[in-house]
Amino acid sequence: MAPLLELEGVARHWPVKGGVVRAVDGVSFTLARGETLALVGESGCGKSTTARLALKLIEPSAGRVRIDGADITGLSGGALRRMRRRAQIIFQDPFASLNPRLSVGEAIEEPLIVHGIGDKASRAARVRELLGLVGLAEWQAGRFPHEFSGGQRQRIGIARALAVQPELIICDEPVSALDVSIQAQVVNLLKDLQERFGLAYLFIAHDLAVVKHMADRVAVMYLGRIVEVAETRRLFADPRHPYTRALLAAIPRPDPRRRGMVTPLGGDVPSPLNPPPGCRFHTRCPLAQAVCREVEPPALEVAPGHRSACHFAAELPVVERVAEGGLSPVAARRLALFGQSAPSTLT
Amino acid sequence: MNAIAPPKRAGVLKRLLRDPAAAIALGFVVAMVLAAVLAPWIAPTDPFDNNLALSMKPPGTPGLLLGADAQGRDLITRMLFGLRASLMMGFVATAAGGVVGVLLGFLAAFYQRWLDGPIMRLMDMMLSFPAILVGLAIAAIFGPGLSSVILALAIATVPLMARIARGSALVTMRLDYIEAARAIGMTDARLIWRHLAPNCLSAIFVFTTLRFGQVILLGSALSFLGLGAQPPMAELGAMASEGRNFLFFAPHIAVIPCIGIFAIVLAFNLLGDALRDALDPRLRF
Repeated sequence: MAPLLELEGVARHWPVKGGVVRAVDGVSFTLARGETLALVGESGCGKSTTARLALKLIEPSAGRVRIDGADITGLSGGALRRMRRRAQIIFQDPFASLNPRLSVGEAIEEPLIVHGIGDKASRAARVRELLGLVGLAEWQAGRFPHEFSGGQRQRIGIARALAVQPELIICDEPVSALDVSIQAQVVNLLKDLQERFGLAYLFIAHDLAVVKHMADRVAVMYLGRIVEVAETRRLFADPRHPYTRALLAAIPRPDPRRRGMVTPLGGDVPSPLNPPPGCRFHTRCPLAQAVCREVEPPALEVAPGHRSACHFAAELPVVERVAEGGLSPVAARRLALFGQSAPSTLT
Repeated sequence: MNAIAPPKRAGVLKRLLRDPAAAIALGFVVAMVLAAVLAPWIAPTDPFDNNLALSMKPPGTPGLLLGADAQGRDLITRMLFGLRASLMMGFVATAAGGVVGVLLGFLAAFYQRWLDGPIMRLMDMMLSFPAILVGLAIAAIFGPGLSSVILALAIATVPLMARIARGSALVTMRLDYIEAARAIGMTDARLIWRHLAPNCLSAIFVFTTLRFGQVILLGSALSFLGLGAQPPMAELGAMASEGRNFLFFAPHIAVIPCIGIFAIVLAFNLLGDALRDALDPRLRF
């Protein structure tokens, strides 16, 4: 069976004065039904652009996006609209993602109207059901977004995405604008909904604690490319790309004995306007050799389901427990929060 | 689920009236509009009733509170009907120019890739002609008259409205809820009507109010130049024009319509400023 979502060599180049910004430059991955794939990386590495490309909110400059084996890159009109029922998106900023002029009920009902689902009465019932699903009260349907907190708004956005019963939801940093305690509630809500409806998530994040909790697999992006993909546990335990190692090492750990042991990456991300030749990471890589400056490393499988785009992927030393004992005490405490049962209804 | 409902946000009107200048301006505008609409019923005489015996009577003459003009027509009546013509002209020209301009501005912003360049360069071309010149050209083509003035002012309003609408649409389009609406799969028309337009409305509304005052001023200027309302029709600019010949021995004939123009334009400007404050979401609560 074809994967639910498949990106193949997808690229997006923005022409600018004096060149072309290669925001996303040849990204390939697959996402199975009911699976969560996390996309992580520094700001500006092309995560959000990849998300929008996967939904055809932005046209790719090259490559193919397939949903359920069907190419969506050429879709328009009715076919595109039918595709939109299968894949939805939730956003990072809960204050920008809701139209301030629509009541919560109207916002959640709108996808149903657009797709001609149900009559007025059944739509109203569905709105009440959706509000319940995300832990809001029915009477709140008549309220407007500015009357809600950030976490509540995020729930409203989730209800809106769920309205058309999609199979895939793209979560563009859904919790990074929220307080930690609220993050836990929203993450747990997302996991809960995934179990109930068999949703697949493309989960974009830069918070590795959340990723570790949410994702089945993780793809690490750097400068518009995926540099490493692996099952979550494997990636955290045995990263095979120096960039992934640097990311994991950068998780803050409040342990004074570790002071000076972490060498953060020097320098800045090179400009996507003029990416370095060879391996894109060689300008910051502590292990870079001559070959890295000239030959672009292919993404080779180092273990089943584990690909790394590094010339020395197989030779990297076993990490001196990058994630010692799993996680830092802070991260562990946050995970404990995430572990708590389903979110209670907010009032 | 017994939550205490948060207090409703004060309405726009309530916030508007907190500013005394705005309250006075709003009251004045409402009174003027009512007077203009009801002119045929509340005017003491017919606007064309002339009585040369009363020619140029000064204000305060028994029975003639504002005096009479050169033809001996009651100035109260003339002012009421002049106001009617001026406000009607301002309303039609602003509305027509506004609808076309807002539509063009939204299209330019929404279909930025194809339409932004062509539409906005056309608007720039239109902007480069002063309204008075457009009025002269149109009066030359269609002959002078109130409808020529309205057409000219509508044309002069289109590019300004288009710029305002495009600007606020471009800001709004960057927000996530527009992208969410796209992801839902609605038609462009629905997206523009339900999501884009309502959220650009406050800027457009404020500008419309300010523009209304300017249009009345420009329209009066065109009428003053003889391109607009033709005698014996009452219109504030035309009345000022007729009165200018008698400025030294019966100044009230020209001054009273000018005070009227001044007051209306001032009121609309104050109202526009106050509306901008009241509608600005950053100043809510």
